[in-house]
Amino acid sequence: MEQRSINPLLVLAIPVWRQRMVVFSLLCLFAILVLRAAYLQGIQDEFLQQQGEARYERQIEVPAMRGRVLDRNGHILADSSPVASIWADPAKVRQWSHEDLSRLARMLGMSTDELGRRLEKGGRRFTYLRRHLPPDEARPLMSWPQEGVGVVEEYLRFYPQGEAFAQLVGLVDVDGQGIEGLEASLNSSLAGESGKRLVVQDRRGRVVQDSVWVERPRDGRDVVLSLDARIQHIAFRALEQAVARHQARAGGAVVIDVRTGEILALANWPSYNPNRRTGLDLSEVRNRVVTDLYEPGSVMKPLLVALALERGVVKPETPIDIQGGILRVGNHSIRDVHATERALTVSQVIQKSSNVGVAKIALGLDPKDLWRHYRAFGFGTRPDLPLPGVAAGRMLPPDSLKPIEVATMAYGHGISTSLLQLAHAYQAIANDGVMLPLTLMRRDAPPPIDEMRRILSPKTARQVKAMMELVTQPGGTATRAAVNGYRTAGKTGTAHKLENGRYVEKYLASFVGYAPASQPRLVVAVMIDEPKAKSYYGGAVAAPVFAEIVGQVLPSLGVAPDMPGPTVAAAQRPRG
Amino acid sequence: MVETLMRRWFGRRGDRLPPSAPHHVERGPVARFGEFDLPLFWAVTALTLMGLVMVYSASIALADESPATGGRANYFLIRQAVFVLLGAGVAWMTFQVPMRVWQSLTPWLFLLGVVLLILVLLPGIGKVVNGSRRWIPLGPINFQPSEFMKLFVSFYAADYTVRKLRFMASFWRGFLPLAFVVVLVGVLLLLQPDFGAFAVISAIAFGVLFLGGLKLRIFFALILLAGAAFAVLILSSEYRSQRLFAFLDPWADPLGKGYQLTHSLIAFGRGKWFGVGLGGSVEKLLYLPEAHTDFLFAVVGEELGLVGVCAVVALFAVVIWRTFTIGRGLVCVEQYFSGLAVFGIGLWIGVQTFINMGVNVGLLPTKGLTLPFMSYGGSSIIANLAAMAVVLRADWELRCLRRGIQV
Repeated sequence: MEQRSINPLLVLAIPVWRQRMVVFSLLCLFAILVLRAAYLQGIQDEFLQQQGEARYERQIEVPAMRGRVLDRNGHILADSSPVASIWADPAKVRQWSHEDLSRLARMLGMSTDELGRRLEKGGRRFTYLRRHLPPDEARPLMSWPQEGVGVVEEYLRFYPQGEAFAQLVGLVDVDGQGIEGLEASLNSSLAGESGKRLVVQDRRGRVVQDSVWVERPRDGRDVVLSLDARIQHIAFRALEQAVARHQARAGGAVVIDVRTGEILALANWPSYNPNRRTGLDLSEVRNRVVTDLYEPGSVMKPLLVALALERGVVKPETPIDIQGGILRVGNHSIRDVHATERALTVSQVIQKSSNVGVAKIALGLDPKDLWRHYRAFGFGTRPDLPLPGVAAGRMLPPDSLKPIEVATMAYGHGISTSLLQLAHAYQAIANDGVMLPLTLMRRDAPPPIDEMRRILSPKTARQVKAMMELVTQPGGTATRAAVNGYRTAGKTGTAHKLENGRYVEKYLASFVGYAPASQPRLVVAVMIDEPKAKSYYGGAVAAPVFAEIVGQVLPSLGVAPDMPGPTVAAAQRPRG
Repeated sequence: MVETLMRRWFGRRGDRLPPSAPHHVERGPVARFGEFDLPLFWAVTALTLMGLVMVYSASIALADESPATGGRANYFLIRQAVFVLLGAGVAWMTFQVPMRVWQSLTPWLFLLGVVLLILVLLPGIGKVVNGSRRWIPLGPINFQPSEFMKLFVSFYAADYTVRKLRFMASFWRGFLPLAFVVVLVGVLLLLQPDFGAFAVISAIAFGVLFLGGLKLRIFFALILLAGAAFAVLILSSEYRSQRLFAFLDPWADPLGKGYQLTHSLIAFGRGKWFGVGLGGSVEKLLYLPEAHTDFLFAVVGEELGLVGVCAVVALFAVVIWRTFTIGRGLVCVEQYFSGLAVFGIGLWIGVQTFINMGVNVGLLPTKGLTLPFMSYGGSSIIANLAAMAVVLRADWELRCLRRGIQV
C-alpha cells in the first residue's frame, strides 16, 4: 500500500500507471510524427521536390532580341522594341462577373460590348485581346486577380525609314519571323535563338519567382547593309515623282558603287508603309528591281558593240550602212525609230540607238560567241544576293540561234533580265571591263581578287565608254541625262512589252548609266513601267531620273566635278 | 494479468508524489499571480504567437486573391490577432472561475453544447462550408459549437467519472451511460458531418473513463466495439471509404482525391532540414487548399523545415506533459473532478494535435481538424485558450491546496 493514499479504494480506482501510459502513448505518437516528418524531409525529399517542380515550375520561352538592320552609316532601317500582348481564355473570362468584365474592358480601353465580341471572335481557349501594347500599359494585367487573362512579352518590329526601304528590308509576321525581303532571307541570323527560363508559378499561372536560365537567349546579330539611306531616299523620291509625272504603273531604280560592287540604293515604286500592314497589296511588296524580268531593249547595245570591238570586227569609227533604217532578216524587218542618215559610225550607232546598226554588227559575229559574251555579263544567271525571288533571266539556247534571233538580241529583245542585272553589266564596263561581285552588305575591304572577273579589255571598255558618253551629249538619245558639273554616260532603252506572246503598245522605259564619266563612281539604273503621259522613250522618261539621282548624290558623296565651265558654277550656286 | 504488466511497466516502485511545478513555491497565505505552471504558459504562448505568424504567411496569397477578403493581404492576420486577443480575454475570465463552479455548471454546459450542436444542424441557422454544416454565423465571425463541446465533454466526462467512481468495474452502470451520451453527441457531429470532432470527443470521454479506472476488460470490449463501429461507418459510405483509402497512396490520384495530401507532402519535402525560409512557401500559393487552417503544419514544414516541425512538436509535448503532470497532482490530492477534467483537456489537445499533424504528414486520412493554438479559426483558438486557462486554474488551486489554503 502506497503511503500517499488516503482512501485505498480510490487509489485502486485511479491508477497512476494509466496516466503515465496515456502520456507515454501520446508522446510516442508525437515521436512517430517527427520520424515521419524526418522521412519526408530528409529521405523522400528529392522525390517530393521533383513532384513539386513538376507542378509549379515551367520553362518560359524568352524571346531573343531581333538584330537591327542598319545602313552603311549606321542609320537604323529596322529595329525591335519590347511590347506586351494581352491574351484571354474566353471559356474562363465568360464566367466572370459583370463588374470584372467591365473593369477589364476599361483597362483595355474598349467597351464591354467590344470585349464581348473579341471573346466571341477568338479561339475557344485562347485569343489575343490587344497586341503590342507599350509594356507600361499592360503591367496592371500581369497581376489580374481572376484567372483567364495574361500578358505575353514580345518584340515589335519598327521600320524608321518607312516605305523607301519597304521591299528591300521586308517584313516580319506578327510572331516576329521574317516573311519578306532581307527580314526573310537573313531571318536565321537576325532572329537569334530564344532562351528558356525556369520560373515558379502560382496556381493561377503567375510567375512568382524568377529562377535560373535554362538557356540564355542569343540575341540576333545586327546586319549592316551596303545601302546608304540618303541615296535610297533620293532614288525613291526621284522615282516616285517620275512615276507620277508619267502616270506610270511602276518603277525601279538601283545605284551601285562602281569601285566596290556595293549596292547603295535599291528603290521600288509603288511601295507601302511597313509599319502599318493592314491591306497589303502584293504588287507593293514585290522588289521589282530584282524579281521582275523584262526585255531590256536598247540598253543592251553597248554590250554587243563591246564584243564586236573586242573581236576586232569593227572600230568605233567604222561606218555602218543603216539602209534608211530598215533591215530585212529572213521574213522579218528591223526598223530604226529615228533614222536620218544613210550611214553612221559605230559610235553614232550607240549615240542614236540604231537597231539596224547593231543588228548588222551582230550578224557579223559568231552567235555562240555572242551568247557566251552576254552570259559572261551575268544574263541568265541568278545574282548571288540574299533576297527572296531573285530572278535569273532567260536567254535563248545557244546552239540553235537563228539570224533573226541574233539580230534582235543585239538590241535587247529575245532576252529577259532584271534591272539589277543590267546595272551589274554596266558596272563592269564603267570599271574598265572588270566585273565585281554585287553585295548588299557593307564592304569594309575590297572584294576578293578571285571574285573579280575581267570581261572586256581596258581598251575596249574605254572605247565603249566614250560612245556612251555621247548618248548624254547633244545629238544623243538621252540629253536629259546630263548633269551640271559632272560628265555622265549611259544608254537608253525603250522596250515593247510582251503580253501573251505578242508585243503590245505598252512600253518599258529605261536608262542605265554611270557618272562621273571621267572616273566612274556610280552606276545608276532606272526603269519606268508603262509610262502613259506624252512620251514613253527611255531618254525622256528614265534619263531625267538618272540625272536627278546623280546630280544629288555625287556632290553629297564629295565627288569632285569633272566638267569644267560655267555649268560648274551653276551647280555650286546655292539652290534657292 | 495485463493490469499487473502495465503496473510493472509504468508504475515504478516507491513512486513519489509527482512534483507539481519544477520551480519551488514560496510559502504565503495567498498564491500570487504568476504562480502557475510557467512552462505550460510559455509553451502555449509560443505556439499561439507562432501560429499567428504562420497563419499570416500561409494566408497571404489566398487573402490577396479572394474577393471575400477584399484583396487585403493581412485580412486573416488581423482576424486571427483579434481572435487571439479575444481568446486571451476569455482565458483570463475563465481563470477567475473556481473549478467547483465548473463542476456545478457541468450539466448545464453540456446541455448548452448539445443544444448548440442541434441548432447548427438547422438549415436556417447552420452555415455550410465545404459540404459541412459546422458553423453558426454571428455577424462578422462564424461560431463553431463543436470546438466548445470538446471542453464541455471534458467537464462532463470528469464529473461523470467522479460520480461513478464506485462503479468503475461495472459495464452497465459505469460504462454504458457515458457510452450512450457519446453516441448521442457523435450522431449530432456526424450529421454535420464532423468526423474529426467525433474522434476527439470520443477520445476525451473514453480516455477520461480509462484514467478514472474503468475496468480494463470493458476497454478491450470497447476497442473491439469501436473497431467494428468504425468499420461499419467507413464501409457504409463510399465518400468516407474513398477518403480513407486515398491517403494510403495519394500519388495514385494526385489531381483528384490525393490532391491536397500530395501538395502537403510536397511542402514537407521542399522544406528539408531547415526549410525554404519564412514566407518562401510555394505550396501556399493556392496549390495547397486550407493552408492557413487544417494544413498549416505543412506550411511550417515547408518554410521552417524539420527544425521547425520538431520545435512545434516539442512545444506540444511540453503542453501535454505539463497538463498531465498537473492532472496527476490534482488526483493525488483527491481533486478528482479537476484532475480528470485536466486529463480530458490534455487528451483533447494531444489527440487533436496528433490527428492534425498525422493528416498533414500523410499518416492518417484527411480530417477537418485544426492544429490547436495555431490554425486560423476563432472558435478553435478561443476554446483552446479557455481550456488552457482551466488547466492553469486547476494548477493554481492545487498550489493553494498544497499550502493549506482552501479555494
